[in-house]
Amino acid sequence: MQITVSQYAHAATEINVVAPLGRIDQASADDFLMALNPMLATLGPDAPPLLLDFSGVDYIASIGLRALMVAARQAKAGGGGIGIAALQPMVREVFSIARFDLVIPCFDSVESAARELSACK
Amino acid sequence: MSALRHLPRALSRFSQGRLVSLLLLVLACLALYHIETTPLASLHAAQFDRYQRQMPRQRDIHPVVVVGIDNLSLAELGQWPWPRDRVAELIERIQSAAPLVVGIDVMFVEADRYSPEELGKRLPSIAPDVLRALSDPDRRLAQALAAGPSVIAVSGIDHAFPGTRPPGKPFYRPPHNDPNLAHLIRYPAGVASLPVLEQAASGEGFINPSPERKDSVGQQRGVLRQVPAVAMIDQDMFLSLPLEMVRVALGEDNQTEVEFGAHGVSRIHVGSYSLPTLPNGELMPHFAAMRDEHYVSAADVLAGRVDADIFNARLVLIGFNVSGLQDRVVSPLGDSLPGAEVHVQVIESLLAGAALQRPPELAQLEIAALALSGLLLIGVIPAMRPRYAIAVFASLAGFWIVGGYAAFHYGRWLFDASAIVLLLTPIFIALLSSTWIIVDARQRDAERALQATREETARFNGELDAARRIQMGLLPNPTSDFAGETRYQVAALLEPARAVGGDYYDCFALDTARLCFAIADVSGKGLPASLFMAVAKTLTGALARRTADLGQAMREVEAELSRENPECLFVTAFVGVLDANTGQLDFVRAGHDAPLLARAGEISRVDADAASGPPLCALGDYPYQSGRFQLQAGDTLCLFTDGVHEASNGRTLFGMPQLIEIFAAHAPKTPIDQQVMAIRDAVRRFEDGQPAADDLTLLLLRWNGPESAALDQPPAAVSAR
Repeated sequence: MQITVSQYAHAATEINVVAPLGRIDQASADDFLMALNPMLATLGPDAPPLLLDFSGVDYIASIGLRALMVAARQAKAGGGGIGIAALQPMVREVFSIARFDLVIPCFDSVESAARELSACK
Repeated sequence: MSALRHLPRALSRFSQGRLVSLLLLVLACLALYHIETTPLASLHAAQFDRYQRQMPRQRDIHPVVVVGIDNLSLAELGQWPWPRDRVAELIERIQSAAPLVVGIDVMFVEADRYSPEELGKRLPSIAPDVLRALSDPDRRLAQALAAGPSVIAVSGIDHAFPGTRPPGKPFYRPPHNDPNLAHLIRYPAGVASLPVLEQAASGEGFINPSPERKDSVGQQRGVLRQVPAVAMIDQDMFLSLPLEMVRVALGEDNQTEVEFGAHGVSRIHVGSYSLPTLPNGELMPHFAAMRDEHYVSAADVLAGRVDADIFNARLVLIGFNVSGLQDRVVSPLGDSLPGAEVHVQVIESLLAGAALQRPPELAQLEIAALALSGLLLIGVIPAMRPRYAIAVFASLAGFWIVGGYAAFHYGRWLFDASAIVLLLTPIFIALLSSTWIIVDARQRDAERALQATREETARFNGELDAARRIQMGLLPNPTSDFAGETRYQVAALLEPARAVGGDYYDCFALDTARLCFAIADVSGKGLPASLFMAVAKTLTGALARRTADLGQAMREVEAELSRENPECLFVTAFVGVLDANTGQLDFVRAGHDAPLLARAGEISRVDADAASGPPLCALGDYPYQSGRFQLQAGDTLCLFTDGVHEASNGRTLFGMPQLIEIFAAHAPKTPIDQQVMAIRDAVRRFEDGQPAADDLTLLLLRWNGPESAALDQPPAAVSAR
């Protein structure tokens, strides 16, 4: 499991973009959440929103969904914005079955997500 | 934590090993200090002999010729003692060639038996004037001795006895109060030749061997390692015969001096030659291999068979060389030498400046070397791995042994490394074994920890087993529960993965008409997941029974589950209620796959999108609504968890298409419980031995139609309708 983090600037708002690579399964879910934690801690009403770029994720197990749920919950509790973008087909299917679009806002692309998330601010 | 706990014990072992080693080192130093009283002394001497054997003195000078009174001489000229005039003739022949000196390893204590005086006593009838006319052999010998530089032998003895008197030609008469004299070997009395011979000879040298002693490098095994160079006989100082020969050969102009140091005699100087000595005036010649080319027979000399030139400008020694005579010694090189050869070796040693030296400082140096090496080992070994410790000890031993050989080679110093190494060995072994004990103890600690982990794991597995049994015990058995039911059939299966997962299925009759069934998957593994599963299952069952609206029931289930959810778990679930009489299906899909539907040989999905929500507890307050679906008689529903379609063979996943295919192949003619097994077998076949990562859960429900129809017609006919 690899986690790469990049900063993405859009309009006046800076958005923190996290781009994990590979599979989020039993073996890597904990690492994934651990890597997210410092960024989740910075989320707040005045902080830039966090966007998960999932273009590099080709599989997500239910334990991975749980990590996303925890992240969403933490963001919500802190009043920060969070979103997920660019799902691959298989991950998109898992999301639609689990209705996780209800848990964490999903976007087609990083650009549209950045637009939407910064507009929400 | 455990390492800290064992630290004090390891430390005490550590210092214990050092303490024992330190004690051993003190004992070793004491042993080396008193080495002559220990069995180590023979080791000591053996090492010194080894130096000489491996590096004997090279004989590049041949200053001495020995004229041997040998077997041939006795055969030709009769038994010893020979008449003195024959000895005189031998000396005259040698002196004619102008040797540097003639030394005679013989004492002539009594008058010759053919001297006029002796003949007169034995034959009183001989007239005195006849006797006077006879030549005196002793006078003849005195004349021969006086003809050139000559040395005759004397001997120191412990008690004077009749006929003995101290010799009269010492090389030095020291003042009586010289305190240095106390160091020297001292003989109270002496035996010397007739006064007439003493006066004729240029000098007298003693021929005593070293006295028996136990306090120094002594003569174990009869090996001759040292000879006295200088000794006191009565009040006078004498050189040994070979040194006296050199002194006389060098002439009166050359100074002979005994040099005293702090411990006694340190060196003896004869002219420009000098040798180091032991404190009592003994010296240790550096022995060369025995060779006999400088030996000639006295008989050959007397018969003129020897070219007298060989004596010219040489030191000539007349001595016995008879086999069977007791006057033989064993040299450190292992050669059996005639007594005369020892004198030769001493002379050669002096002229070559080649004597072994072992001043008392060297013994102190050995003790210092032992102490330092021991302290070094005690300092470094306990911190080392045994392999490196052995290397350190080997290099240290090698250093001293090579040093010992080097000291002998370059300075003829007798430095005994073997005793040092031998005495260091027990110290090293004590240190190493204590190191080994520590290593061993550490290993045992590690094994204990491993064992504890294993036990822990076993206990944990036991708990998991218990959790699994509880989990499995919660699951209903639809085959027996609905044995008499004809309107529908239910078959279900849950095979847990190695670690407990959080899948479950459920099915129970709400009343005579309605069947409630569910399949669910708790996110996560292990004990928390299985406990959460138990709670979720119980709550779902209870609330579904109590609440008429399924959507309402699920909202309450979520609310209850979210109340206590520290692990942030969630449950995907599909819950349905079938009216067995009408085929009407109410359901809620909470983040779970919609069931497959087999209808008239076609496989489709139950369209559940309208009544879909996220998994239970994902949001905590999602307004679940129930959906409705109409079954036809003969329809079969297949509910599954991701343990089915995401089963892996290590390369690919089982996948939905395969699940649909195997479901289609067996519907609807196959009895429903066999169909469940067929799907399960297909998944396991696909996995091909790869251990399952997730629980495998299946629930199949077939609606046969209302009671009356089902009674009349077999399921196959229903599906054909």
